[in-house]
Amino acid sequence: MHSTDDRARWLAREILPHEGALRAWLSRKPIVGLDIDDIVQETYARLSNATSIDNIRDPRSYMFSTAYSVILTYLRRSRVVAMHSLAQFENEEFVIDEPSPEAIAVDRDELYRLGQAIAELPPRIREVFILRRVEELSSREIAQKLGVSTKTVENQMAAAFQRLAKKLGRGGKHPAGASRDESQGNRNAHATRDQSGD
Amino acid sequence: MPRETSQEIDAAAAAWAARIDSGLLSNEEEKQLETWMAADDRRRGAFMRMRAVALHSERAKALGTSYDPEDFVVPSELPQPTVTRRRMLWMGGSAVAACAVVAAGLSVGMGAGATVYDTRRGEVRVITLEDGTVITLNTSSRIKVKYAKERRLVRLEEGEALFDVAKDKARPFIVEAGSTAVRAVGTSFTVKRIASKPVEILVREGVIEVTRPNSVKPMRMAANTRITAPESNAQLSPVAIAPEEVTREIAWKSGQIAFEGETLANAAEAFGRYSDTRIIIDDPAVGREEITGLFTANDPVSFARAAAASLELRAVVGPGEVRLSR
Repeated sequence: MHSTDDRARWLAREILPHEGALRAWLSRKPIVGLDIDDIVQETYARLSNATSIDNIRDPRSYMFSTAYSVILTYLRRSRVVAMHSLAQFENEEFVIDEPSPEAIAVDRDELYRLGQAIAELPPRIREVFILRRVEELSSREIAQKLGVSTKTVENQMAAAFQRLAKKLGRGGKHPAGASRDESQGNRNAHATRDQSGD
Repeated sequence: MPRETSQEIDAAAAAWAARIDSGLLSNEEEKQLETWMAADDRRRGAFMRMRAVALHSERAKALGTSYDPEDFVVPSELPQPTVTRRRMLWMGGSAVAACAVVAAGLSVGMGAGATVYDTRRGEVRVITLEDGTVITLNTSSRIKVKYAKERRLVRLEEGEALFDVAKDKARPFIVEAGSTAVRAVGTSFTVKRIASKPVEILVREGVIEVTRPNSVKPMRMAANTRITAPESNAQLSPVAIAPEEVTREIAWKSGQIAFEGETLANAAEAFGRYSDTRIIIDDPAVGREEITGLFTANDPVSFARAAAASLELRAVVGPGEVRLSR
């Protein structure tokens, strides 16, 4: 998994910090039949498949262009194409809010942000996560220490990743207590059941 | 057959990321993962995203074994002895009018669950909230944000912020600055609250409603208007301004300040918010000279030199200051 890990690390460093801004931009362009979450997943897929990322000087723009391209592809392939949606998208001058260096949307303290995201994990999940990441115990050692199966430890870590992905992908500390947390990214009428509960 | 939802994919992707985190995959497992991902592009993207999060979370080690989650949770403020209707609002109390009366100067706690954002001097920060609302914080500013089921609340404690509010019919967006409350009806506007000066509100797009302690009913303000709201109970009326002026007032968003016939004295004061280097003008007559232009906000020395050149003054740079004189 060596090269996949390299790409994953690049995504973590250069793309994940801008996911929040991308979601905000996408939320202003709702498209029938296409969720923001779907667009984001497909964008990450394309970024993962790109042959080389060495020459990309502006990952943020690259991410936005890729998302835009995902939308265009969907509109073109969709059997029910709202003609005006497609026309609107193709004719619209593609403008991304380019932040000046002074206004770059990256939190100045990533570690603090991570610490806060971890603090918001439910207690059991948080305990497993801290044993794994901070104390660096193996899954087996954690299982033994807590008296559970390694499968349980894995499930807790999976739950931790899901929650961290939600928080980190929103681009920074976000208000706690928002009751629509789970389906926030969905502008679509699909009734989707959230699967991320512990 | 209903399409797999993105949440279902995320759950499966997280499970895979956790499996890899536990240990290397066997050949069989690697094949399973590839097969799973091949069925839907979103799966591959979701997996790589989860893997990115998992790798990124390795930084948590730097938090150290004495990491205490409590350090990272915003503490709730001590309750005031007298309960005001406004405090009930922040604490999620019964549905009172969005802009209840607040005794001037009372510092009201928002209760647990409020998130604080702030900026240092010279810093501009963009914050994206879950609903798509974007808040741009200007220099030396501080806000508290609390989203609840029925409303989205922000308190501007100090400084200046631009709010680009995402539409949400179910939840009004309310900004409180001092005893002034602004309710957004889908829209872009700034609120400024600097030390002891009156609160200033400027609307860029859309409509807002402003309520003051003695308001009988909220006052509506539309795009390209400005209002200055002192803490006193004076009557207010919005002033129409040109769109170019709105653009000038928000130049800070790109790290700039724009002046149009502004006095040097006021310009010097404006720069004072963004940098520790002070522009000093001893002669009041020089302070009354006017300047027009677009300048980098955290570079008062360049501004002083430009002003000196165009107004035939002298700019002398010293430690932490630059002096303008004839």
